[in-house]
Amino acid sequence: MKLLREPLLHFLMLGAAIFAAFAFITRHKTDKPGEIVVTQGTLDNIATGFAHTWQRPPTEGELQGLVCDYIREEAAYREALSMGLDRDDTIVRRRLRQKLEFISDDLASHAEPSDADLDMFLRTHPGLFKTEPLFSFRQIYLNPQLHRTDLQRDESRVLAELRSPGSLGNPSSLGDPFLLAQSFENVSLAEVKQTFGEQFAAGLSALSPGQWHGPVNSGYGAHLVFVSQRSEGHLPALAGVRDQVRREWLNAKRTETTDKFYQALLRHYTVKIEVSEEKKVAQVH
Amino acid sequence: MTRSRKIGDLHILTSFLAACLLCFIVPSAGGQELPALDKKTAEEVLPKKPYSPYAGRTYPTRVFWGDTHLHTSQSFDSVMFGNRLGPEEAYRFARGEEVTSSTGQRVQLSRPLDFLVVADHAESLGVMSEVLAGNPELVSDPLVKRWHELMNQGPEGGLEVYKQVVVDYVGKGKPLPGILTSPTTVRSVWLKNTSLAEKYNDPGHFTTLLGYEWSSNTGGNNLHRVVVFRDSADKVNQVVPFSSLDSDNPENLWKVLDAYEAKTGGSVLAIPHNGNLSNGRMFEIVDFAGNPLTRQYAETRANREPVVEVTQIKGDGETHPYLSPTDEFANFERWDRGNLDLSADKKPEMLQYEYARSALKTGLKLEKELGVNPYKFGMIGSTDAHTSLATADSDNFFGKLPAYEPSPDRWKHASEFSSGKAYYGWEFVASGYAGVWATANTREAIWDALKRKEVYATTGPRMIVRFFGGWDFEAKDAQNRDLSQIGYDRGVPMGGDLRQAPAGKSATFLIAALKDPIGANLDRIQVVKGWLDAHNKLQEKVYDVAWSGNRKPAANGKLPPVGNTVDMKTATWTNSIGAPELITVWKEPDFDPSLFAFYYVRVLEIPTPRWTLYDAVKFGVTMDPKVPMVEQQRAYTSPIWYTPTK
Repeated sequence: MKLLREPLLHFLMLGAAIFAAFAFITRHKTDKPGEIVVTQGTLDNIATGFAHTWQRPPTEGELQGLVCDYIREEAAYREALSMGLDRDDTIVRRRLRQKLEFISDDLASHAEPSDADLDMFLRTHPGLFKTEPLFSFRQIYLNPQLHRTDLQRDESRVLAELRSPGSLGNPSSLGDPFLLAQSFENVSLAEVKQTFGEQFAAGLSALSPGQWHGPVNSGYGAHLVFVSQRSEGHLPALAGVRDQVRREWLNAKRTETTDKFYQALLRHYTVKIEVSEEKKVAQVH
Repeated sequence: MTRSRKIGDLHILTSFLAACLLCFIVPSAGGQELPALDKKTAEEVLPKKPYSPYAGRTYPTRVFWGDTHLHTSQSFDSVMFGNRLGPEEAYRFARGEEVTSSTGQRVQLSRPLDFLVVADHAESLGVMSEVLAGNPELVSDPLVKRWHELMNQGPEGGLEVYKQVVVDYVGKGKPLPGILTSPTTVRSVWLKNTSLAEKYNDPGHFTTLLGYEWSSNTGGNNLHRVVVFRDSADKVNQVVPFSSLDSDNPENLWKVLDAYEAKTGGSVLAIPHNGNLSNGRMFEIVDFAGNPLTRQYAETRANREPVVEVTQIKGDGETHPYLSPTDEFANFERWDRGNLDLSADKKPEMLQYEYARSALKTGLKLEKELGVNPYKFGMIGSTDAHTSLATADSDNFFGKLPAYEPSPDRWKHASEFSSGKAYYGWEFVASGYAGVWATANTREAIWDALKRKEVYATTGPRMIVRFFGGWDFEAKDAQNRDLSQIGYDRGVPMGGDLRQAPAGKSATFLIAALKDPIGANLDRIQVVKGWLDAHNKLQEKVYDVAWSGNRKPAANGKLPPVGNTVDMKTATWTNSIGAPELITVWKEPDFDPSLFAFYYVRVLEIPTPRWTLYDAVKFGVTMDPKVPMVEQQRAYTSPIWYTPTK
């Protein structure tokens, strides 16, 4: 995020802020009731809008027409508001809600967590960031269809052979042909799950390293398994996962800000949901 | 509004500046060519093969699963249909998290995907969510205001807007209100989408590739392509998605993609889909304007479109019973009543230019004529879901649109078009995913695998399929414990080429399939062969090459069905039939070294419940007898081609 520290960017943001503030002041200056004031700012704005569309400034006559229209719009707008015409209009309602949520979203998106915030988040959400346990293991596959009636006996026979002191330690000729590799080096538990399924992953996790075990079952059939090494997952230091933590922090913040915003809003209201008796009956059935 | 627009502009400006700055510091992508080695020097210079069989292994050892074609609320039609989930939710869902769907239902994948391409329509990208919200500038146009009101009435209103936009405007070449195609909006949404993709790209764990969909649909004929970049946002942000409103001719899309590569040094490919809804236009023997194909067209297309999405929610496009009358598995999830908006009926003579198998055949003939095969493509599946939810599992299917998310009535829900014809809920297909043999889970490795076609399609299940072609595979190779090593050492993988047949030798294939670890057993492996015979006629044949149990082919050569364990009352099945794994070496019995041919593998699972049966059981509803309830899920690999020596 080097870009965020660019002086050029700061300059641009500052410029935009001033511009936005200026537009805000000139547009939303409140007039007295019964008085419509067209300020120089409004005039400039009207002219700029015209120039933006037509790529040239308006002529005197055009500007007059635009100002006339602005005055009519302002009068009509106030009249419509006082008549309450905004109330039952879905377009107006949605637009206003959107504008309000935009402000709340904006607050969340401009929040920048400190390292302390991130560190706290990392510690309180270890499940999101903990590294996976890693396994190095070998597996011998027994295809249940090739050992229809004697699978258990064959499992025990192969396991005994693997465990026997005279075993050559080269099991590649034992078991049945299998599309997956016999030997896996430092694969994560998630990868084991993807490749062999949950059942096998759970079985594998329970094995003590340094000895042939089995059978461990999977959706494919039975496996005899030798875990040579396993390392437990750990919570990494912030420096190693800063981007991920920041991403998750911002996401949590976004949800939290919206929720808080509505909670605060709804504190001013008592909400009643009135369902007619007939509807209640219908809902029950 | 002023405020949001100013900030949008600022964002564009800063991103533009950032892109400009980066242009100067990114090194040129073109690598230096090494001088060719002669054999003697090579032996001296290159290292000997190490003792350890695993050292220096460079081939892919793992298949990665993904969806290259997912729409979010940034797609004009998606938001009309009520999708309220954006790319962020799409990425979170695909990487395995639980999300709440647009209809308020909690949903999670059975397992995470490894990668995802959010491919929103380039046409009016993001603009329709503004229409929905009632952006005053947009609803100042009376037609747009009407659409805004319709969209706010609910899904039916949304569908009405979709029909008007797609059928009455885009379909008839009538320009949309200019305000809806504003480049400023499209650009700001594009930059937002690419930055979200960057945010969720996590090499090694979960890859997000940048992309969009170009949705040419003139006359209702679907010529859509998903565009997928190899590159990161620094390059991709230098362009905006190319819209079919600018040109509906795919040749112009390719030109734009050429220009992208020339400008940025990046790489990009395009993936056609739904030839079945193109009414004979997707794989024609003439170009878009109706002229005969040229060598240059063939080269461009083959290079730009290395894979085709052959199976997805709107039908499976492998082949059709009319084209493959002796293939008893050809009648699978067909959508063959008309084009995309059903404005024109299907005629049988259109089918040969729509389906993958016949297009691969057409390609052989064109190669003989032009010297280059324009239809030399690999095959993948993807969802094309417009819900931001990449679901392809039958027991977890969230449909095409929010209106087709789980509900007791979704099976009979109809999407009617102005031509008075409709697609019905039960016709949608819980399909598919792309299986990719990549060396790592990164943008570059996944894109490169797509480009070299080392990929395959499945209709949802994640079965592992290996397919190698060579000249001297032997039966005992199928017993080897390191099958892929043998495959790569002595042959080419799926997507590869066989040439220069040694005298007297036939093509041999090493083929293996392993069931989805949590899915159904396998029924059989088949090899589909297509070839151009000595009389210049295109032919095809399906061979059963490995199957479960002790079944014997009948006198007509057909293998008996595997059986069916599906319990219609509970929507369950058992793996008491079929095989968890099938491995074989198949020697081509009819090989002729003088003829152009291709071979691909089709793997069939045992019968399992279709999503409609899960619905019937979960909701306790009875569906019309015509609704299919049981099916055999499948995988299609990219072909291996044989090209005779001239």
